[in-house]
Amino acid sequence: MQKFLMAVDRLTTFAGRFFAWSIVALTLLVSWEVFSRYFLNHPHPWALDAQIMLYGILFMMAGAYTLAHQGHVRGDVLYGALRPRTQAAIDLVLFVFFYLPGVLALTWAGWTYANESLAIRENTFSPDPLPLYPFKFVIPAAGFLLLLQGIVEILRCVVCLRLGEWPARMKDVEEIDLEELRAMVKDDGEDAGSRP
Amino acid sequence: MKKGLAFGFGLMALILLAIAVLTPWSTLTNGHIGIIMLCLIVVAMMLGFPSAFTLMGMGVLFSWFAYRSVDPAIAVQQTLDLAVQRSYGVMTSDVLIAVPLFLFMGYLVERAKLIKKLFHAIHIATARIPGSLAVASLVTCAIFATATGIVGAVVTLMGLLALPAMLRAGYDTKLSAGVIAAGGTLGILIPPSILLIVYGATAGVSVVQLYAGAFFPGLLLAGLYVVYVILIAWFKPHWAPPLSAEDRRVPLPPHMTQLSARYGGLALPALLRALLGQRDATVSRAAVGRDLLVISLPLLAFALIMGLTWNTLTKPTEVFDVSGLVEMGVSAEAYSSGGGEETAPGISEPPAEEAVAPGVEAPPALEEPPTLDEPPILEEPTTLEALPALAEPEAAAPAGGREPAPAAFWKTVGAGVAVLGVGYLLLTFPRLEVFRVLLTSFFPLAVMITGVLGSIVFGLATPTEAAAMGALGGFILAAFYMAQDTPREQRRRWWPGWVVLWGIFLASVVWFILHRAQVIAAPLPPALGQASMLAFLAWGLLASWQVKLFPMLRESVFLTAKTSAMVCWLFVGASIYSAAFSLLGGQHVVEAWVLSLNMTPLEFLLLTQLIIFILGWPLEWTEIIVIFMPIFIPLLAHFNIDPLFFGLLVALNLQMSFLSPPMAPSAFYLKGVAPPSVSLGQIFLGSMPFLVLVIVAMAMLYIWPQIGLWLPGVLYK
Repeated sequence: MQKFLMAVDRLTTFAGRFFAWSIVALTLLVSWEVFSRYFLNHPHPWALDAQIMLYGILFMMAGAYTLAHQGHVRGDVLYGALRPRTQAAIDLVLFVFFYLPGVLALTWAGWTYANESLAIRENTFSPDPLPLYPFKFVIPAAGFLLLLQGIVEILRCVVCLRLGEWPARMKDVEEIDLEELRAMVKDDGEDAGSRP
Repeated sequence: MKKGLAFGFGLMALILLAIAVLTPWSTLTNGHIGIIMLCLIVVAMMLGFPSAFTLMGMGVLFSWFAYRSVDPAIAVQQTLDLAVQRSYGVMTSDVLIAVPLFLFMGYLVERAKLIKKLFHAIHIATARIPGSLAVASLVTCAIFATATGIVGAVVTLMGLLALPAMLRAGYDTKLSAGVIAAGGTLGILIPPSILLIVYGATAGVSVVQLYAGAFFPGLLLAGLYVVYVILIAWFKPHWAPPLSAEDRRVPLPPHMTQLSARYGGLALPALLRALLGQRDATVSRAAVGRDLLVISLPLLAFALIMGLTWNTLTKPTEVFDVSGLVEMGVSAEAYSSGGGEETAPGISEPPAEEAVAPGVEAPPALEEPPTLDEPPILEEPTTLEALPALAEPEAAAPAGGREPAPAAFWKTVGAGVAVLGVGYLLLTFPRLEVFRVLLTSFFPLAVMITGVLGSIVFGLATPTEAAAMGALGGFILAAFYMAQDTPREQRRRWWPGWVVLWGIFLASVVWFILHRAQVIAAPLPPALGQASMLAFLAWGLLASWQVKLFPMLRESVFLTAKTSAMVCWLFVGASIYSAAFSLLGGQHVVEAWVLSLNMTPLEFLLLTQLIIFILGWPLEWTEIIVIFMPIFIPLLAHFNIDPLFFGLLVALNLQMSFLSPPMAPSAFYLKGVAPPSVSLGQIFLGSMPFLVLVIVAMAMLYIWPQIGLWLPGVLYK
């Protein structure tokens, strides 16, 4: 069981991390376009569309990754104070009632939506059109990953209900990594006043 | 915690009970279902399920409900279409696209390891102010929070760095804790902040205007904090004891100590004498030269700006004049023959040839691209020593075919020269050292923030573009700061490569600026532009490899992805949810109800702000904005309230959600890293005065709306 859970975690994490790099591409693309437009007076009509696509891919594909590492914002007030079993019970019910309908709708509808776009080989509305249908396939892809991750989370709830504690998760970068922040404040103690 | 639990569940039960009692079950309309949906979402969110999916699930279920009441046959299809179209709408939002970019910039800056230097620099700069450590903490918090926008990280870092320092210096625990908790949250208010983008995307208000509007309220709040701390230190010195003379002394590097012993305490004459006087083995000329360069930077910057302004102001009006080439008071005829050769590579810039013409020679002096080995690059002499003379306005009499500059310009120049002169007269070695430390820590960050913000507010760049440039800036900062942590010999080896690549890059920047200032007629040649972009990219790769930036970059990339997914999926959920809400006609019910109360605009404002304040207890700011703004915003028109103004109030208000017990995130972050002697209660008590200050700031903004609306009004009318 745990093996399967971790395998899915790894899959969604890989997908999320892989597409996370589009932020670098996005930064470079925007900067390049700014330079090209202002400095060289040579704008590219397709650049804006490409930027939007990179942004859309970035956050859509990271949805499941974020869920796998509990990065989605949640009302922690009461939840944090509950016992793991109660937490799991609440989560289980809500995953079935809120999560699955929403994500299923997204995946299903996204699939037909993207296929319609593919059928007409839809392009962006621009003098330099880019194909739009691959971008639309991001919706069912992200939905599918979320669905997979959602099933894993439901299984986690079941495990937790049985054992009374949450099963382990993969480690990932944290926004507030105490060790790292400590090191940042401590390690360069001497040269703070010295010459650059 | 037990009490909180009981209270929370009690509240939930109350809401459910209210639904059960107040709903007219026999005559249930869709509008009523909408209201039930609104109440249920609060209950569901408090249960602790990830909000994005709570919203999405509820939205899908209730929109199906709404469609079914019209035509059950196609309800499922309509619901599916709605869900996917709303998601696609968020995916193609040209407002939200700035969110990941600003996040990326924030994570890069956070990891650039500069906070320690920043705090140190601001601390020695403010050492003489009462409560200096607290003031320095506040300013560091404000700057760092503005640049990163990550409240948790700023509070944690400052809790590790400044809190122990303040406690050691004998500061009151409550005051020290409050300063950090309050200072760290300024990042969500002072632009460029994510909160304002999220508000703008939800409320349909221009992010640019929000940034312009939030600038002064942000400064106002930070200013109130600082004034409060200074007053406390003034009236209750035992809460914030002044530093001992020993602690206040600015540590000087050895050569400065020697120079001031030999030539007296004033930096400028001492350095000049050290440079021009006889050679002395004990003081290195390089160090003296570097200090002189540091000293002359303000003058150079001033002269550069004034020179370019003068050039623009006095531009002759003839259209075909080649005066773009003939700078600096030389008549057009003398140079008109040279005009054709302008684009030829290797030709030196015309302005450089008049290095003797004082007063306007400023522009070329700063650029000196360090890569003179590249053929197409301007060759300018470095005329550092000649510079002090340059700022004298009298010498630069408008000559040959130029328009006379307006008197206001000369007045500005005069005032600037006076200020600089007084500054140089008062420049002692300790002050020079403070300036130097600020220059390497505070200024880069400040320049980056003002660059990003300024280009947005003045309409030079969209928020997206500015955010991308900011992210690049964050990368550059990180590269330079982390390079400083490496051994000196290693850095020496990197230096030539960096200088060459930056030289190529800056060459085209300088060319472009000179072209825009109409000093050079020819636009930037595309080849040079492409080369400089490649050079920059090459530098980025080289630096990541040399300085080992990759782990830092990787972490920032992943964190950016996770946080953007958090924010944007919340938008997906909320967008489906609010569609369902309006399908059910919930908005009409709310509107009818609010209008039936016959409130004055002030009462309405107070009510909404109170609701937002209370919601700040169980919910985070993202959820509050994304769910409740769509309900409040349409009501604003009835009360004649500007959504922009409302947004500023909300942004101020949400500061409090970070600070107000019992669930103040800021306080918990701080508690996580504070020494055990600091209790959560002390942190809460310490935050109280700052909470009051937020309310004061909101009141001031209400009484004088011009604080927020003046700048957008001036810029975008």
